[in-house]
Amino acid sequence: MNLLDIRNLSIELISNKKPILAVERVSLSMKEGEVRGLVGESGSGKSLLAQAIVGVLDDRWKVDADRFHWRGNDLMRLSAEERKKIISKDVAMIFQEPMSCLDPTTTIGEQLEEAVDTEQLTGYFWQKKQQRKLAAAQLLHKVGIKNHEVCTKSYPHQLTEALCQRVMIAMALARRPMLLIADEPTAAMETTNKGQIFRLLASLNQLKNMSILLISHDLENVTHWTDTLTVMYSGQFVEAGTTKQIFEKPYHPYTRALVDSSPKANLQLPAKSRLPTLPGSIPILQHLPIGCRLGPRCPQAQQQCVHAPKVKNYHGHQVSCHFSLRGSY
Amino acid sequence: MLLLTILSFSLSFLFPGNSVINMSGQVNATAEQLSLLAAQYQQNENIFSQYLAYISRIFSGDLGLSMASQLPISSEIANLLPATVELSLVALLLAMVTGIPIGFIAAIRHRKASDNIILTIAMLGYSIPVFWLGLLAILVFSIQLGWLPSAGQISLLYEINHVTGIQFIDILLSDSQYKWQAFQNAGAHIIMPACVIALAPATLFIRLARSAMLEVLETSYIRAAKAKGLTLQQIIFRHAIRNAFVKVIRDVGLQFANLVTIAMVTEVIFSWPGIGRWLIESIFHRDYTAIQGGLLALSCFIFLVHILTDFIYAALNPLAREKKHGT
Repeated sequence: MNLLDIRNLSIELISNKKPILAVERVSLSMKEGEVRGLVGESGSGKSLLAQAIVGVLDDRWKVDADRFHWRGNDLMRLSAEERKKIISKDVAMIFQEPMSCLDPTTTIGEQLEEAVDTEQLTGYFWQKKQQRKLAAAQLLHKVGIKNHEVCTKSYPHQLTEALCQRVMIAMALARRPMLLIADEPTAAMETTNKGQIFRLLASLNQLKNMSILLISHDLENVTHWTDTLTVMYSGQFVEAGTTKQIFEKPYHPYTRALVDSSPKANLQLPAKSRLPTLPGSIPILQHLPIGCRLGPRCPQAQQQCVHAPKVKNYHGHQVSCHFSLRGSY
Repeated sequence: MLLLTILSFSLSFLFPGNSVINMSGQVNATAEQLSLLAAQYQQNENIFSQYLAYISRIFSGDLGLSMASQLPISSEIANLLPATVELSLVALLLAMVTGIPIGFIAAIRHRKASDNIILTIAMLGYSIPVFWLGLLAILVFSIQLGWLPSAGQISLLYEINHVTGIQFIDILLSDSQYKWQAFQNAGAHIIMPACVIALAPATLFIRLARSAMLEVLETSYIRAAKAKGLTLQQIIFRHAIRNAFVKVIRDVGLQFANLVTIAMVTEVIFSWPGIGRWLIESIFHRDYTAIQGGLLALSCFIFLVHILTDFIYAALNPLAREKKHGT
């Protein structure tokens, strides 16, 4: 059974003039123990989608979906409170720029302790404080922070960015989630720290069978750590499949361009030549093209592309394009 | 501080009349006394040593005599300043205790009816002139309803020795058998002026607190806390309030100078025996020495409160507490 099953989820920005469809009919499904990458340029709505899943979007955004199932429960039918209860129990999220996601005036220890679920604590109320402390220390050990006493006493600004991200992961683990959504967890981090964080996430996935939705704009890096990939462009679903399928035989022109633009994928490229890229840049929210939003930049675009294409499924490799590159391989 | 003393020093030249008389307040001095004073103030030297002489006299506690009453200014200030300190601190406390929580509530209920109502009331309260409000309050609460006394610091029936000058502490220190009645009476006297003073700053605090809270609620750590599964109350009480309060407290010190100005006007209306009323009276009497001295004392007080709020800010905000490290 799918852990998370989202079909045709749309997110609308309610503004004074015309509502803007920031994310248009995106589908996403996750199995237990799966590491799925969600890839797209900045501004393609990946973070929005993640925040919509966790339910932390404010009331300017309107979320709508044909299907939004969590382990068989239809979340769209539940009230906001019930949804929040289920989601906050099983889904945790870590954000980019971890330092700004920690309360600057509270110590790490306090923030960790409040994340610990009361239901996990056994004992009388006078023992709970001690247990919370212990649980917080254990969480820090789990994410590889050995010196927990120093860490719990310090404020976020006293720690490095990578250490803050570890703390954020520790907080996310506090409720023993089944799904961890990592929204660009290593943005603005050095390469060594990046590797550490990804290895930590990978080990959590293997040891605890925790599913991870890894959001990134860096296709090349993500392929090392993920089993399956979903590609988004400008708020639209582009392509989904196993990492191997996507990386070796992309069906969508956009994914093709994305793969081509990474230097590792085309080593046969002559030295000092330009990497192939698509012309133009991602459209802004106020001027979205109709139909397939890649249309104006797409090398294959034809008249038909002013209508949004339907998602086609080829053995689990889904693609949303009228003129998929399937025939060219 | 240096600027303050320079300003006060220059006032003695800017006021009409002899600068020695302006500084010392010896109106009826003989020629010999005057020449003695001139020597003391080093009038014949250059302006810098004049200034140094003036400073050293201030530090020795000699602010001259009042031109109107021929009493030493320093003792007058010692008598009157505590009453103003008491009144303005009570008003500040009142303004903070009411204004900041209301502002927080408005922010939490952003863009709802209660938010709009609070903002409207805040706007109205800020626009009401204080002397009009004071007179209206006297008219309603002391004359028509007769609930509260209209003037003074305490009823004349109670004999309280002047120890610190702050009425409430004096009452507690005195061994009168009517201590608690006196305490209640002093409380009844301070309510109305304090409320009148507190209104305008309170409305300001409402708006400051509201915008600070809105800013905090937009930050990513609040979003992260939401994703952690905390309830709204937990988020507000554990994270939002402290961070918003840190932002507000920085502005409280700035608002205090404003509050003291309002307090001066209110002291006149409620015949509060404080330094503001005395200062305004001495302006009427052309009592230049008193103006200089009173100005200096009042500014020092505001200065102290500024430093105090900075300390509270540092205590609340770990970011300001220590030197910045490289990140």
